Amino acid sequence: MKTFTKFLGLAVVLLIAIVLAVLCGDYGPWYFAWLVGTTMIILIAVAGGVLFETQLETQKKGS
Amino acid sequence: MPLIDPTVVDLSRLQFALTALYHFLFVPLTLGMTMILAAMETTYVITGKQVYKDMTQFWGKLFGINFAIGVATGLTMEFEFGTNWSMFSHFVGDVFGTPLAIEGLMAFFMESTFIGLMFFGWDRLSKPAHLAITYLVALASNLSALWILIANGFMQDPKGASFNPDTMRMQFNSFVQLVFSPDAQAKFVHTSIAGFVTGAMFVMGVSAYYLLTNRHKEFAARSIRMAAVFGLISTLAVVTLGDALGRLDDLLQPTKIAAIEGLWHTTTSPAAPWLVAALPDDKTQSNVFEIGVPYVLTPLITHTFDKSIPGLIDLEGAAGPKILNGIKAIDALQQYSTTHDAASLATFKQYEDDMGYGFLAQQNAPNQDLNAITPAEMPAVVQQTELDTVPNVFVTFWAFRIMMFLGFYFIALFAFMAYFSLKNQLENNRFLLKLCMISIPAPILACEFGWITAEAGRQPWSVYGWLPTFQAASSHNVGYMVFSLIGFALLYSLFIAAELYLMFKYARLGPQSHDHAAPVAGTGALPMFAKPGFAAKSWE
Ligand code: HEM
Repeated sequence: MKTFTKFLGLAVVLLIAIVLAVLCGDYGPWYFAWLVGTTMIILIAVAGGVLFETQLETQKKGS
Repeated sequence: MPLIDPTVVDLSRLQFALTALYHFLFVPLTLGMTMILAAMETTYVITGKQVYKDMTQFWGKLFGINFAIGVATGLTMEFEFGTNWSMFSHFVGDVFGTPLAIEGLMAFFMESTFIGLMFFGWDRLSKPAHLAITYLVALASNLSALWILIANGFMQDPKGASFNPDTMRMQFNSFVQLVFSPDAQAKFVHTSIAGFVTGAMFVMGVSAYYLLTNRHKEFAARSIRMAAVFGLISTLAVVTLGDALGRLDDLLQPTKIAAIEGLWHTTTSPAAPWLVAALPDDKTQSNVFEIGVPYVLTPLITHTFDKSIPGLIDLEGAAGPKILNGIKAIDALQQYSTTHDAASLATFKQYEDDMGYGFLAQQNAPNQDLNAITPAEMPAVVQQTELDTVPNVFVTFWAFRIMMFLGFYFIALFAFMAYFSLKNQLENNRFLLKLCMISIPAPILACEFGWITAEAGRQPWSVYGWLPTFQAASSHNVGYMVFSLIGFALLYSLFIAAELYLMFKYARLGPQSHDHAAPVAGTGALPMFAKPGFAAKSWE
């Protein structure tokens, strides 16, 4: 049941994202670009942080 | 005596420019820091490492200082529309009031509520719930900027409204057109992401200071890693959107783009140079000297290789017939306001699109009365008004160039810092670290020059093509304006002094001494971190 609710929740999020993409992409291409771009900027910065920890681990193991 | 005193208009402009530029010293940091906090807290939730929580809290504290002081500086401008720009408020209040009201709600209800939850919710909310709140803070702060930029977008390209001759003001027709105006969209993204750049440079610069002073090294290295990556992508996005704004200016505000490029004469060949530097002389309407790169201007501005770009002198000439039409429109409007007859309404409708140029001519008419212009005087009035249709080229040209050159400098700095962070060689590059420190105010400077480009370049209009700036001001006396100007300058300088004092104080103190080096004399822990046991945690 829990998995099903999760699945349903994510499906709703996906639906909203698609509707937003279609509407925003048509009427507000730059707004849409901001939504996608900002998410990307945050996620890539987070990936930078996570990579830092991995590099540190590797360094520690190596030494 | 003229109805509108030009000195009062100039003082009103100076006061608005001063309060807006002061306010915008705080805004970009708020826009950017909230997003960086969201990134840091996401890393905390993903990795579970305490250091990222501490990073979020420490940078959050500095963000809090900036927000608390900055929010007060924005309030006065909303009142200035009523006090100093009452004609503007009368003319476009229907349209302009809506985004401003929504902004007020966003800033004071949504943003402030979530900020409260973010600061006080660490021990009361679950990890994911707190993360969601931090994202909402970031979203809300950027959304409140959105409404201001929509309002400003309307002033650059009035979409979603039309003039109503019965009420003598602009009437709101379409909320969707107002919100989705291409200029508002590009402006929002350019400005919001300029804030990201500012936040990233702030985190990187302060962290560089820690590395240079051999303190909080683990904390600083991680902060630099995240800020450099965040800043690099953001600056690339700012430049992309800058190009989009330039393209829109070419389509919507030809006088602005010509001033930005120091272009006096219409380009006739694709070889027209893009001026890297020049000394535009507004009096002689020429450039005293110029250094340019051929074949760059046309594709840069028109995104084609063959379209021509109108120069300022030709644009002035093209304004002549519009000025004559505008005078006719206002004459018909005056008649209609007393007679309400169909004939004068029809005449007004015929010339309505050029009405703004009629308003513009008013300042050159005898006693600012268009009816008092004799046929013999008309050519001189039109000629003088033609010259008034273009902005100050020197200011617009250089404000744009400073912003743009800084943009490319940021790309290089973030790229080097990201590279050396990946290579784990940050500490060997002391020169670069020092450069990061002194570059902390540079993105704020770029933002200020961006606004100067946007607003000085829009002159002589407060609403492009519709309402000249000199018609938009209130009829105060000079003494009142000078008094309030000095008052604002003093008060705002006090705010800046408080901000700088608190920022320097808490940034110097640093998060707390986690690394194993002894704390430098005079540096302690921030009170919020000074809980027993806190300093004993290890980040490694
Ligand atoms: C190659 C780089 C850049 C280009 C081509 C560019 C282009 C522009 C243009 C054309 C405008 C005037 C918009 C209007 O007509 O209203 C503008 C405004 C502005 N720019 Fe830039 N820009 C660049 C870099 C930057 C950077 C690095 C920052 C700050 C970090 C910045 C911040 C701003 C701000 C705050 C404004 C005023 C708000 C607005 O009109 O969007 N810009 N920019």
